[in-house]
Amino acid sequence: MRLLKKYLITVFMLPLLILFFMTPSEAGLREQIFETVLSNGLKVILLENPKAPLVTFQVWYRVGSRNESWGKTGLSHVLEHMMFKGTEKIGPEEFSRIIQENGGNLNAFTSYDYTAYFENISADRVQVAIDLEADRMQNLVLREEDFRTERMVVMEERRLRTEDNPRAILIEQVMATAFQIHPYRWPIIGWMGDLARLTLADLKAYYQTYYNPINAFLVVVGDFKKEELLPKIEKAFGSYPKGVVPDQKRDKEPPQLGERRIFVKKEAQLPFLVMGYHVPNLQDPDSYVLEVIATLLSEGKSSRLYQALVREKRLVLSADADYSLLSRDPRLFYLSADLLPGKEVAEVERALDQEIERLQRELVGRQELEKAKNQLEALFIFGQDSIFNQAMLLARHEITLSWKAVDDYLPSIRKVTPEEIQRVAKKYLTPDNRTVGILIPLPPKEGKPAPEGSPIKEKMVR
Amino acid sequence: MRLFFRFLILQSAIRIPKWKLLVVLVFLLLCMGLLNSALQALPPVQRAVLPNGLVLLVSEERSLPFVTLQLLVNSGSWKDPAGEEGLSYLTARGLLLGTSKRQVTAIHEELDFMGASLSSSAGRDYATLNLRVLKKDLDKGWDLFIEVLTQPTFPEEEIKREVEKTLAAIQSAEDQPDEVAEKEFRKTLFSNSPYAHPVVGTKESLPRLTREAMIRFYRFCYHPNNAILTVVGDISAEEVKSKLLPSLAKWPTVEIPKIPFKTSFEKEPKTVKIDRGITQANIVLGHVGVSRDNPDYYALTIMNYILGGGGFSSRLVEEIRNKRGLAYSVASYFDPGKYPGSFQIVLQTKNASAREAISISIQEMERIQKELVSEKELEGAKKYLIGSFPMRINTQGKLTHFLTQVEYYGLGLDYPEKYPSLIQSITREEVLRVAKKYLHPENTILIVVANLKEAGME
Repeated sequence: MRLLKKYLITVFMLPLLILFFMTPSEAGLREQIFETVLSNGLKVILLENPKAPLVTFQVWYRVGSRNESWGKTGLSHVLEHMMFKGTEKIGPEEFSRIIQENGGNLNAFTSYDYTAYFENISADRVQVAIDLEADRMQNLVLREEDFRTERMVVMEERRLRTEDNPRAILIEQVMATAFQIHPYRWPIIGWMGDLARLTLADLKAYYQTYYNPINAFLVVVGDFKKEELLPKIEKAFGSYPKGVVPDQKRDKEPPQLGERRIFVKKEAQLPFLVMGYHVPNLQDPDSYVLEVIATLLSEGKSSRLYQALVREKRLVLSADADYSLLSRDPRLFYLSADLLPGKEVAEVERALDQEIERLQRELVGRQELEKAKNQLEALFIFGQDSIFNQAMLLARHEITLSWKAVDDYLPSIRKVTPEEIQRVAKKYLTPDNRTVGILIPLPPKEGKPAPEGSPIKEKMVR
Repeated sequence: MRLFFRFLILQSAIRIPKWKLLVVLVFLLLCMGLLNSALQALPPVQRAVLPNGLVLLVSEERSLPFVTLQLLVNSGSWKDPAGEEGLSYLTARGLLLGTSKRQVTAIHEELDFMGASLSSSAGRDYATLNLRVLKKDLDKGWDLFIEVLTQPTFPEEEIKREVEKTLAAIQSAEDQPDEVAEKEFRKTLFSNSPYAHPVVGTKESLPRLTREAMIRFYRFCYHPNNAILTVVGDISAEEVKSKLLPSLAKWPTVEIPKIPFKTSFEKEPKTVKIDRGITQANIVLGHVGVSRDNPDYYALTIMNYILGGGGFSSRLVEEIRNKRGLAYSVASYFDPGKYPGSFQIVLQTKNASAREAISISIQEMERIQKELVSEKELEGAKKYLIGSFPMRINTQGKLTHFLTQVEYYGLGLDYPEKYPSLIQSITREEVLRVAKKYLHPENTILIVVANLKEAGME
C-alpha cells in the first residue's frame, strides 16, 4: 500500500499521516455533517468533533495535474508552492510564520485531481487560518524573482522524489505508458523540461482560472460550533466573485488493446516489478469489489500475496496490491513486488499471475472474505481518530463524487460477494489490460569512502 | 483475583487548563473508574506500579471504539553484545514469530481477522510491542499480546526467514542515499560506542545471530521490572483491572544485571564521501548531541527551532531554500536518547550546489553562536512550541507514545502543564549560551553521498 504515497506532493517535507487505503465511510457520518454553499458558489463542509481543542481547516481546489497540458506539466504543483509567497497584505513566507506563531501546523499538497491547503490549529485561533486562506484565494502576488527561486526548489524536489529513486522512475514510466490520452499520463510534479519552461504568465493565468470560489470547497473538522464558525467563513470568503466554472472534462483513456511492457535500467540493488491494470473509480460500484480484492491480496500477513510470495515461495521482500477508488477519473490497480536477492523477475511475475488466476478461478471462501471486510472496517474506524484524516476523507470523496458517498463505503464493502470478486477479477485483471514495468538494476558505482585526512571543508569558502 | 492493585496516583492532565485542574481532580475522585463521556476532551492519566515492578499508565478516551497499547522494554540495540549487532531488534521481531500455543501463521490469521495490528520493533534505547484493536475484540487481542510477550518460542525456521528479510532490507536501503548517509554518519560519529551500529544489525553480524542468543537476550531484558505498559482508548480503569491485570500479575520479576553504557565519540573533524550515480548530494553534517535528561534540553529545543528545526520558519530553510532555492528539504535536529545522541543538519541539493549548501550550513551554526537571536525569533519559537503542544497528543496513537515517553524519561505526568513554563523561561542569552556550548561548527562530521565528480568533491 505504500506505492501510492508518491501521488501526493507536499510543499514541504513534513510527516503527513495519510491512510490511502482507507477510503471508507462510516454509517452516520452524513448526519453529523453540515454542508452549505455560499452565494458565490463556495461549498463549505463542516464536521464538529470536539475531541481535542483543535481544528483542521482545509481549502481544496479542484485543480491538479489532470488540468495541465502537455508542455506545461507540473504547473499545479508549482503554483501550490507559490501560494506561500505572499499577497498584497503579507510578504513571502509570512503565511507560514504567522500560522506557526499561532501554534499551528500547515502545509499543502497537490495530486492528479486536486490541490489542497491546510492548517491544523488550536480551536481559538481558527480565525487566523480563515483570514490567511481567504486572502490567498484571490490576492496572491506572483513575483518573477520568487518564481525563479521556487522553481529551483521544485526541481530539487523532483530530484529527491523521482530522479534518484529507481522505483519512482519506474512507476512514472508505467503511468506514462498506461495512459496515452488522459493527463494521468504525466507525473504530478511535471517533467523536468517543462518545469524549466514554465513562466510567470502561465502561473498567473492558471491562478485566475482555477482559484475561484466556484472551483473550491472548504472542509473544517474539529472543536467548533458551526453557528459561530460559519459567519466567520462567510465574512472572509463571501465577497469574492464566483468566477467561471472551468472546463473539467478530459478525454477518456480508450480501452487498452494488449499488454504493454516497459523496462527501466538504473543503478539499483534489487529488481522491482509493477503491474498496472486499468480499473474504474468510485463512480462504478465495481470499485468496492476492487477495494476488497486489494485487501484479500495484500492487507496483513495472512493476505494472499504475503502467504504465497513472501512465505511459501520466498521470492520477494514484499508484495503489494494498491488501489484507491477515490480518483476523479479511472486510474490503475497495481500489483508490485520487491525481489529478494537472486530471484528472477519472471518467476515473481508468474507467482503474481497465479494469484490473479486463482481469484478468477475459485470463489473466495466465506471466512477469508469476512476477514477482508473486517480489516477494511477496522481501518476505517482507526482512521477516524485523526481530524485531519477525517477531513481528508470527506474531501477526497467530494473530489471524486460527493462527500456524501462516504456513508456508502462500509455498507457497499459489506455487500461484496465471492461471485462479484470473481467477475471483477475476470473483467479487469487481464494481461491485455495491463502495463508491466520492470526495474533492471545496474551495478552501482563502488561506494568507497574517500581517503582520510582530506576534509573537504578545508577547501571550502565559508 | 484479589484486588492487590490500586491506582496509586491519580494525576492527570493532558489538556486540562490549570484553572480547571482542581475541579477535574475532584470530579475524578468522585467517580474513579467510572469516567464518563463528559471528560472525553480531557483524558486523565492514571499511573500505577505493579508489585512485579511494571509501570502501568492508563488513559480512558472513549470517542472511538478501539484501544491502543504500547509496551516499552528497556532492551534497545545499545545492549547488543559485540559481534551480535541486531540481536535486540531480532529478539523484538521474534516475539511475533510464534508462541508456545500458536504458530506464526495462526497469529497472523487471528490478527487479520480482527483487523487488528500487532507489531514489535527495537530502537537504540528500547524495544516496543504495539497493539491496536477494536473494543469488541479486546479480549482476544490482549490474549495475543500477553502471549507473544511472555511465551515466545523463537522458532528456528522463522528466525532464518526474518534474518533473510532483514538482510534484503539492508541491501535495498542502499538505494536510498539519505539512509546511506545517515548510517555512515552514526557509524563515524559514535565510533566504537553502543550507538554506532545500525539497530537492525549488519550483513556481517546477522548471519551470526542464533536462536540461543535471542533466548538469552529475551531472558536478560523482557521482565516487568524493566518495562512500561501504556493503555489508551475505549477502556476503563475497571476493565484494566479485570481484563489485563490478572495476566500481567503472573509475569514474574527477575533481577536484571546492570550493564554500563560506555560513551565514545569521534573527536576530530572527519569527512566521508560516498560516490553514487545520483543527481543530488545527500548531506549529513553534525556532531555529538545531548541526552534527553540534559538540563539544557529546552533551551536547545528553542535554539534548534530557530536554526533548522522550525519548519518553514527556520534560518536554514530561509537561507538555503527560500533565498537560494538550493534544496527542497533542509532541517537540523538533536536526537537525544537515554544517552547523548547526535546533532545533525540534513539536506539534499543538486550535486553542483553541495559545497555552497555545506558552507551556508556551517555559517548558520556559527552565526547563532555569535549573535543573540532576535526577540521576534525567540517569541516565534516559544509560541509555536507551546501552542502546538496539544497536537502532540491529539490521537490515540500519539497519546500512547507520548505517555510512554513521559514515563521512560521520567518527565512526570504533569509534563503538559509544566511544558509552557519550561519553554517560557528561556532567554535569548540562554539560547546563545547553549549554541556556544553544544554546537561545534569547527569540528563536524560531514557525510556526502553524491555524484562526487559533479559535486567537485573527487
